[in-house]
Amino acid sequence: MSIFNTKINLIEDMVDGEDVKGRIEIDDLVVKYGDFTAVDGISLSIPCRGIYGFLGPNGAGKTTTIRTLTTLLKPSSGSITIDGLDVIKDTNEIRKRIGIVQQYISLDKEISVRENIVCHAILHKVPRKEIDIRMRELSSILGLDRYLDKLILDLSGGWRRRAAIACALMHRPSILFLDEPTAGLDTQSRHILWDIVRDLKRSGTMVFLTTHYMDEAEALCDRIAIIDSGRVIAEGSPTELNNLVGKVAVDYECDGKMMTQTFASRDMAHSFIESNLTNESSYSVRRTTLEDVFLELTGGSIGGDDVVKND
Amino acid sequence: MLLRTIDGAFRVALADMYYLKRNLLTVMITVMILPLLYFVSFAYGLGSTVDNTEGVTYIAFVIPGIVSLSTLSSCFSTTANKIMLQRRFYSSFDEVILCPVSSDSVVLGKAMLGIVRGLMCAAILIILGLLMTDDFAITPMLLFTVFVSCLTYSLLGVVAGFMVKGPPTFNLFNSLVILPMTFLCGTVFSVSAMPQSLQALIQVLPLTHTTECIRSAALGWEFPWVSLIVVLAYGTAFFLISRYLLEKGRV
Repeated sequence: MSIFNTKINLIEDMVDGEDVKGRIEIDDLVVKYGDFTAVDGISLSIPCRGIYGFLGPNGAGKTTTIRTLTTLLKPSSGSITIDGLDVIKDTNEIRKRIGIVQQYISLDKEISVRENIVCHAILHKVPRKEIDIRMRELSSILGLDRYLDKLILDLSGGWRRRAAIACALMHRPSILFLDEPTAGLDTQSRHILWDIVRDLKRSGTMVFLTTHYMDEAEALCDRIAIIDSGRVIAEGSPTELNNLVGKVAVDYECDGKMMTQTFASRDMAHSFIESNLTNESSYSVRRTTLEDVFLELTGGSIGGDDVVKND
Repeated sequence: MLLRTIDGAFRVALADMYYLKRNLLTVMITVMILPLLYFVSFAYGLGSTVDNTEGVTYIAFVIPGIVSLSTLSSCFSTTANKIMLQRRFYSSFDEVILCPVSSDSVVLGKAMLGIVRGLMCAAILIILGLLMTDDFAITPMLLFTVFVSCLTYSLLGVVAGFMVKGPPTFNLFNSLVILPMTFLCGTVFSVSAMPQSLQALIQVLPLTHTTECIRSAALGWEFPWVSLIVVLAYGTAFFLISRYLLEKGRV
């Protein structure tokens, strides 16, 4: 596993010279807004299967990367191919193969769910006789039946998100991009969306999602890239990433601050507790999480919590 | 190629057409208020006190002018407002960008709501014109020039919709470009009544030429082909600018 912005190959059994088909290849991607560099030299090679997550704090460059991957933004430099197609030269071909649900739902708010779905299908040249069949199928899976004739403006965030997913899936894309799919949703809606994402994976659709929720990344993703300040700082499966900092973490109070120390084993953690913490000390022992990985690699908290890394 | 572009444009326009169907009455009321006010105040109010203008009754003279300015105001505001809302507030313009259709189709498709609304507005005014004066006639050239006018100003609306950052810049564009054209371009009075120095500027503005075309076609005057070419040139320029902005990702 590589960290600090090196080319990362995600399939362990990948051989040199393997065809770029069936993969998302990002090579030294840079995206600038004027003088500000939002994405700073990301290189990744991602197989088009399973659930891949981009995890990072707000402003890390996740949305910019996803907008570039989905042809909404042009890179300042570097290249991206999806299934062997170049995002700049083969824009329309790529658009046929991908679906996207943006963080800010990009449906037409002044028309109904049904009308949005039909419009999306017609824009993507879905045969007319197929539209009704697919709409019924997706409405049933996403539980949208009762909401088809409601205006998007009249729906809550969770239902808008489901409507957006239905639209994005109407042309049966092989890759679905979800930008912060559960941001702003209540716990119940989050878990329903997680189930939908898992179902998509089972149906063979690759899901590429961005999130700043560590529990979401851990619960859903087969592979995760942790991104900070426009750079990939670590990549791997959730277990591989957690093991970067050890397997056990001890949270304890020291001089009024919450500190965290990570260890390779539970025995080492207990030795630390016995030798450094008194009986009156407040502490807890737990498994390491992606938060610990992020703290270790950046020295900052992903969600702005008050956890402080103990050097 | 052309057929594929037009097919794509209809696909892009579908969401806007659903919107129009849902809000037909509101859309018609808002789009008709200004031209009807012009109609009442100029055709009835001023028309009763003014003698013949350029060889015809003032009512016959002013109705084509009102049709012309209505195509400008309704097509421009409809298109520019809708695109601005979709880009800046609803983010729904991304749905259009993300579909596999050409930039030409996107530009023409986004102009369609304005064209439809402009044609509806013009149709009502033309019917009123027929009822009010015998000098006014529906000719194929009138229908063609009204359509070209709607297309041109809807494309101007697309340019504005792509460029404005929000309501303040939209209002600025309206105040600096649309409002002066409404009053200066010979819609409610003859351009010859204006000072010589201002006439040169007025001749550069597209509404002067659409008004000339619509008035000549409706009143059976000699058709100003040069004006039609000027309007078509403006339309082409607006189309190319919109396409450039879209393809360069400046939308």
